[in-house]
Amino acid sequence: MRRHSPGVAAIALMIIGLAAGCPAEAQDQAPPSSTPPPATEPPAPQSPAPQALPGSPAPPAAPSGTPPATVLPKDETQGVLGKDVRSATGEPMGQIINVIVDKAGQPRAAVIDFGGFLGVGSRKIAVDWSALHFAPGKPPGAITLDFTRNQLKAAPEYKEGQPVVVLSASGSAQPIETPGSPEH
Amino acid sequence: MPTIAEPTASDAPAPSEQSRAGLDWLNFFVANVQTGFGPFIAVYLTSRAWTQVNIGLALTIGGLVALAGQIPGGAIVDIVRSKRLVAGVAMGAIAASALMLALWPVFLAVVASEILHSLASCLLGPALAAISLGLVGHAAIGERLGRNASFASLGNGIAAALMGACGRLFSDQAVFLVTAVLAVPALMAVTRIRSEEIDPLRARGGARRGPSGGLPALLTNLPLVIFSGCILLFHFANAAMLPLMASIVTMRSSDWATVLIAACIVVPQAVVAVSSAWVGRQAQRIGRRPMLLLGFVALVIRGALFAVISSPYLLVVVQLLDGVSAAVIGVMLPLVVADTTRGSGRFNFALGVVGSTAGIGAAISTTFAGYISDHLGSRTAFLSLALIAAVGLAAVYRLMPETRARTETPP
Repeated sequence: MRRHSPGVAAIALMIIGLAAGCPAEAQDQAPPSSTPPPATEPPAPQSPAPQALPGSPAPPAAPSGTPPATVLPKDETQGVLGKDVRSATGEPMGQIINVIVDKAGQPRAAVIDFGGFLGVGSRKIAVDWSALHFAPGKPPGAITLDFTRNQLKAAPEYKEGQPVVVLSASGSAQPIETPGSPEH
Repeated sequence: MPTIAEPTASDAPAPSEQSRAGLDWLNFFVANVQTGFGPFIAVYLTSRAWTQVNIGLALTIGGLVALAGQIPGGAIVDIVRSKRLVAGVAMGAIAASALMLALWPVFLAVVASEILHSLASCLLGPALAAISLGLVGHAAIGERLGRNASFASLGNGIAAALMGACGRLFSDQAVFLVTAVLAVPALMAVTRIRSEEIDPLRARGGARRGPSGGLPALLTNLPLVIFSGCILLFHFANAAMLPLMASIVTMRSSDWATVLIAACIVVPQAVVAVSSAWVGRQAQRIGRRPMLLLGFVALVIRGALFAVISSPYLLVVVQLLDGVSAAVIGVMLPLVVADTTRGSGRFNFALGVVGSTAGIGAAISTTFAGYISDHLGSRTAFLSLALIAAVGLAAVYRLMPETRARTETPP
């Protein structure tokens, strides 16, 4: 052990790293564009893994076996978690880190990790869902936002477990009042 | 109590130019590699559609391992004869963990990568200090540690700029590939250091005399215990300041926010690069205590200024003070530990203990400042941090003894 040069050990470790990494990359590239929910990583240890495989029989309601499947076209839909958001003029705004839905399951707001450099100094800000525009067909999956950086910078920070203050399309911040109530 | 070893012939070694340059560049490239593992990991995993809960979990696991691993890491570096081997293996492990992050961003692999990186870092830090002490001995360690800190902060600053550009131009993934590649010059630097010039006995703080146990022996080493407390207070006051200030810059400035935050990170690095060698020399000339007082005074003033200044541009100027205190603590931490463990054979173990207290201080800091800032505002948070720094300053002033050996008179 002591006779080995450090370089040999390091190279061995790198090879192990490479070997372990390669097969997973292919697996990692495939899902996001075709499957609706972008949650491709394994679940956190606390929840046991409710992975419904496409071919598995659905619980009671479907006696015939496989429930009917819908194919969402690749160019018409996209996952949004982690996607970059830009302003109308192309300024980088941040990444979508969460989507807020109401009781009906309708998206009400997107939480954006806004600003910062190399992860330092970013702020989590909730913006009105209707202020976001999606263009899944285009190459970078461009998501644009109706706000400028200047409008977004001073918005109140999003905090889990507290009423969500959403920057609405009119440019003012307002809390989501009663979840489930119609928006307009 | 630190027993001061009488200077022997081997206490004034003259390492070759090649070894000294190797150590310089080792510090540079290690800092390069470590830069990628900062808060940027969260950005990267977010872009990989990770939820915030999973990101937090993975990073917390890594942080806890890094905290728990410091003391055993130091002990291992004391025991293993070849410090170069330890440094090389740790570098290889860090490169592997960067590759895992880049190529395989799934939960288990990222947690494994975080653990691997934390364990390797726990070895790498003490290994660099041990190589330094083993090469130059106690008499010249102050200046050597100053040089180490200069090269490390150059490495950090340049890597931050490089990786910022890399993430912008290519992809977040590319940042970790670059990190892994940078391990190669780091390994080359390790091999440049001549093994026979690193005295293994010197590298662990001199010969052990009589029974010197583990933790109990350190706990009765009063100057070391006081110093650990001061270091804890320093990181308690310091760690949350930059992130808190950066989020305020994001809030107050729009067009220049990113550039200003980058400046707030790079400006202190530049100050450290320029001033660390001076700090090391001054510590040898006028002593450790005056330097420590300087570092804490800079921290108190910085916290107070953050509380009253609202212009984001002036905040960047205040970050010069961050450079001053970072230079002081960066040099003083290993230096005072070397002072207080002379002749104990436990230098790296003690370094691990003090490193743990630093980690605890930093961990409390962000939670504490986040809570205060949420409930009482950021101004109160900065004032509280300044107050904690002031307590640290008082502790250094009232309790901390001078640890410079009397034999080390200025040349």
